[in-house]
Amino acid sequence: MAAQPKALPLEQASYLEGGGIYGWLTTIDHKRVAVLYGVTAIMLMILGGTEAMLVRTQLMRPDNHFLTAQQYNQFFTMHGLTMIFLVIMPLETGFFGNFLLPLHIGARDVAFPRLNALSYWVFLLGALTLNFGWLWGGLPNDGWFGYANLTSTQYSPGLNIDFYDLGLLILGVSSVMSSLNFFVTIINMRAPGMSFMRMPMFIWSLLVTTILVLLAFPALTVGLIFLFMDRYFGTNYYNVIAGATPILWQHLFWIFGHPEVYIMILPAFGLISEILPVFSYKALFGYPMMAYSMILIAFLSYGVWGHHMFATGMGPVADAAFSITSMLIAIPTGIKIFSWIATIWGGRLRFTTAYLFAIAFVLQFTIGGLSGVMHASPPIDLEQTDSYIIVAHFHYVLGLGALFAILGGIYYYWPKVTGRMLNEKLGKWHFWLSVVSFNATFFPMHFLGELGMPRRIYTYAPHMGWDFWNFEETIAAYVIAVSFVIFFINIFLSLTGGERAGNDPWDARTLEWSIPSPPPVYNFATIPTVASRDAFWVMKYGSVEASGLEGAPAVNAPAFVDISKIHIPAPSLYPVLIALGLFGMAVGVIINWYRMVMIGALLMVMCILAMAFEYPNWGEENPHAVGESFLGLDSRKVGIWSFIGSECVFFASLISTYMVYKARSLGPYDAQILNIPLTSFSTFILLMSSLLMVLALAGFQRNDKFWGTFWLLGTALFGCIFLGGQVYEFGSFWLKEGMVFNTNLFSQCFYTLVGFHGFHVFIGVVWLITMAIAGLLGKIDMKRSLAVELAGLYWHFVDIVWVVIFTLIYLMRTIKHA
Amino acid sequence: MSDHAMEGTHAAAHAHAAEEHHPQAGTYIVVAIILTALTGAEIGVFYASFLQPFLVPLLIVLAILKFILVAQYYMHLHFDSRVFSVLFVFPLWLAVLICVSLLMLFDYLSYHPG
Repeated sequence: MAAQPKALPLEQASYLEGGGIYGWLTTIDHKRVAVLYGVTAIMLMILGGTEAMLVRTQLMRPDNHFLTAQQYNQFFTMHGLTMIFLVIMPLETGFFGNFLLPLHIGARDVAFPRLNALSYWVFLLGALTLNFGWLWGGLPNDGWFGYANLTSTQYSPGLNIDFYDLGLLILGVSSVMSSLNFFVTIINMRAPGMSFMRMPMFIWSLLVTTILVLLAFPALTVGLIFLFMDRYFGTNYYNVIAGATPILWQHLFWIFGHPEVYIMILPAFGLISEILPVFSYKALFGYPMMAYSMILIAFLSYGVWGHHMFATGMGPVADAAFSITSMLIAIPTGIKIFSWIATIWGGRLRFTTAYLFAIAFVLQFTIGGLSGVMHASPPIDLEQTDSYIIVAHFHYVLGLGALFAILGGIYYYWPKVTGRMLNEKLGKWHFWLSVVSFNATFFPMHFLGELGMPRRIYTYAPHMGWDFWNFEETIAAYVIAVSFVIFFINIFLSLTGGERAGNDPWDARTLEWSIPSPPPVYNFATIPTVASRDAFWVMKYGSVEASGLEGAPAVNAPAFVDISKIHIPAPSLYPVLIALGLFGMAVGVIINWYRMVMIGALLMVMCILAMAFEYPNWGEENPHAVGESFLGLDSRKVGIWSFIGSECVFFASLISTYMVYKARSLGPYDAQILNIPLTSFSTFILLMSSLLMVLALAGFQRNDKFWGTFWLLGTALFGCIFLGGQVYEFGSFWLKEGMVFNTNLFSQCFYTLVGFHGFHVFIGVVWLITMAIAGLLGKIDMKRSLAVELAGLYWHFVDIVWVVIFTLIYLMRTIKHA
Repeated sequence: MSDHAMEGTHAAAHAHAAEEHHPQAGTYIVVAIILTALTGAEIGVFYASFLQPFLVPLLIVLAILKFILVAQYYMHLHFDSRVFSVLFVFPLWLAVLICVSLLMLFDYLSYHPG
């Protein structure tokens, strides 16, 4: 007999209620994960702000000794790292992204809820790793871009850079997981009718940002791996004496670093594009061009990294190319600015705090953008680089830009997140103090730069002409702190007794305002069908262009919902445990306690495997069934392809480094070492393993479990033979040729590249054996053959990477590269 | 019908559709034979002294052919939704661009070390 449907009033189903501490630890609800991100990032913002206050206090007077030079280096470095990686990014994508994405697109959750929770816990423990130096060994101290070779053990013998290196590696893992999740959600889980051209602009910004993260972070990851190897295994990736060049770090860092700027600013664009139309009572002007501009900005952002490196002497052709692409970005950015102005123009304006922050963003970001265009010109950049003009520029873009957008977003979405209003009077005090103090702090930095004050000096002599502006900036910075105190008081008062918010306190335009504040666990009682842009506005007033004066908004949310028919994935403790394992590994490596590394690794691997088999309906976690997805594709398949795309950039960075350093290496040379007959056999084995893999898939697809499992085991066996060949190859290089990891540039690049490929094969073998065990246990049948297909896609990708490696590294061994 | 049951139905339908669209074992074996032949050709090109002037272009063409065969047939890009092709080709194109850019930038540095 079917279970009786259990009706639950919407008002009793708020996502904030119930569960206690354990409930929050094990939550995989995107809204709770968003709150976890938000609270963590706000706490870290207080830390990052305090570091900034210490830096400003030190610079308040000439010849000041409030901080030592070492303390100053640590605080300005940690201020930058904290605000970029632990405040702006997690607030924009972690908090707003998590909270709004499913609500904006009419979904119940993100595509992979447990991966989402894992992203948060890995982020938290990455933040702790980065800040571990507060307790032991000292904080990172070489600036947020950690230029080589200041980061070498020779110049940074302490643990400071190790926390930087491993902290950023862990945070990168979190960002990539989170972005992959969001990307798949946007691509595949939109409500019926929500085409790309009907998506809210914030979702557009999130979509483009996730692509940037997926394709930019791998380059940083490779750079950080090289740094790790230099510091722990004695390699020389950035050591000039060994024939290497520190410029490699700059390239790898900025291939990531400039897209990173857009990773921080595009979600801000998205938030502003949501706020301005609501409080102007007008639709967003030029919606299609706003979306295309976002895509163009992302596209161009991969071709501009060199403008951070004009001073390194890249040559006139490279300078010209990077200069042109950098200037071109001003065009789509300008389109956005003019579209925002046109949105405001002629509207019925409501000057709420959120709206004031949004307007200030447009003005202040434009100022920062203009100085950015100046730096795109190499001669001007050479004059201004590493001066306070640069500090002014990026604080206008990210402080008075991204942070203002975040604050506007908080004032706008607070009622939806908490169900209570923030006090508008206190909000306006916060806003006006912020505008005045931020501008008073950062605008004079343009003057200081022109007066020749370099960035990152911990003190300066009197009578340089810098005294007054430094004093004034420090006082203004204290006022920023006061403005934030008002903000936190406002938050406290709202949470303890703020006015209750209705579903739609701002008369807003997008779907999230159609449901209660705070939303129920399942978001929408019934998945909405979207017929146009600004879906909720059209539901209320009939058309996108309606002025809002047509009549009272319609209330169409059902009073009751049959919750037994709504599939909400169960909570899980595994994400916390996996993240703890990763944290244990990182800290164990840094403090040389290898038992801790092993325990951490074991915990992580066991929990990943346990999580894979956590649900009885194994492999069917996705809250949206295949037939309900927007594109009719399985989210897991979209996910694995997105991951493979990200891996392309990872291997491209490794291969490029190999080819660049091969030509710089002293002997023994590749042509003397590499064993073509052995590798040809290994190549044949790996190619044939791909054949066995597709035969395994074909077996499961026709429900032939025996042959499916048989071919899976065969594939794993061939993978093991390939790995055996690699172990033999490495062993013979070591024992017969005496070529160890750090013998020369060739050896370190070869072992790293081929070793990482081998590691991927190893992961693939473990995956295949897990699949085979699942097959033997009868957990894989025809309807779950997709699980085998996913493992197969990864396996074939590893295969084609080897096709490239075999050709470029082995068969072209006699060719000299750059 | 519960969501899970529906998921099962959809998944089965999907699996059935996949079976219809993905090639059968015979095609996979033919592709494997071609891949083996191409790998043999690569090794032949490598050892044939008279082909050394054309070594790089020949090896690149052969590697690209192998790459395309695996991606199109074993990874099913030829048969699956175009969405997957876009998800793979765009990052691949970017990866190649990064490789070529870095090689050119460091090539300049090697001639102008100062």
